Amino acid sequence: MVSSKNRILQIAVVFLRVALGGIFIYAGYVKLVEPWQLFAAGIADYEVVPMWAAKLLAHTLPWFEVLVGLLLIAGRWLRTCTVSTSLLLLVFVGLMVRAFAGGKEINCGCFGPNELISWKTLVRDGAMLAVSLFLTAIAFRHRRKPA
Amino acid sequence: MKMFALALAVMLPCLAAGPEGKSVGNPAAPMRMDLYGDFTCGHCKMLHEQILPRIIADYVTPGKAYLVFHEFTLTGPGHEHSRAASMYAAAAARVGKYQQVCDALFLTQSSWAMSGKVWETVSPALTSVEQKKVQALMNDPTVAADVQRDLDLGMAAHVNQTPTLVMTRKGKQTLWSFWNDYGLFKSTVDMLLSK
Repeated sequence: MVSSKNRILQIAVVFLRVALGGIFIYAGYVKLVEPWQLFAAGIADYEVVPMWAAKLLAHTLPWFEVLVGLLLIAGRWLRTCTVSTSLLLLVFVGLMVRAFAGGKEINCGCFGPNELISWKTLVRDGAMLAVSLFLTAIAFRHRRKPA
Repeated sequence: MKMFALALAVMLPCLAAGPEGKSVGNPAAPMRMDLYGDFTCGHCKMLHEQILPRIIADYVTPGKAYLVFHEFTLTGPGHEHSRAASMYAAAAARVGKYQQVCDALFLTQSSWAMSGKVWETVSPALTSVEQKKVQALMNDPTVAADVQRDLDLGMAAHVNQTPTLVMTRKGKQTLWSFWNDYGLFKSTVDMLLSK
């Protein structure tokens, strides 16, 4: 019975890992196929970093999203990977909540341009954060177990 | 304002008839720019008075872009008179005075947007004959249809805020609505034009 539950958990973890990895790859891809300036403008709209930093992030963040997505799917460096996705999503969701609460009508910049921050985007990204935190906890729990 | 008028004066020889007189430049230009704005939107006023002259000078005058104006009429608090302004602008376009009416509306935006005195703002930009025509056109259902069509076009292009510029190059649309850094916008347009 216990092993059956473990098996279900293992399958669920793999499924969530692949799903989250796929979402990160997609998020990076849609930014890479558009002019980088669109993402830079999206970042600048949040008014938390100077323009030079927005430009730097616009050039680098999509590649990082693709990288962590691939690593999540491959199941490599899981602790580093899941911590990275959790931190990224914490920042993303935090900024979105801040903008939404402040009444800013700006694009979320999550999956390319032209998607205003709304309850829908907050719930979606919040769910992704919950999944990422769950995978992080699993990654560290497995690490502590003796071989 | 003066810059915009100057840019338009430079453009006069190549002003295209366009959709109901609401366009500037050569329709055969390599890029089409569809600008969606609202007369009660503060950022639209800033764009019209400070950025549009630069866009015209950098891209429309040299024949790189064809600029078309659209009314993306906002609703709700603060935008009670948006529709009237859009209607007057659309009607003015029919008598060839679209830009002049736009200039007048943006110049005193904070005043008429509060008072609702839209006609009092628009009328000085028109001759007495044009005033009569525009007043008559305000009852023309096709003018209202033009305003609605602009909004529908914007929605179809996924415009979700004003002002938004929809740039179309080789069939691909790119939306731009960040106006705090003209250099960033310019590098985007230059990149799109280089493709």
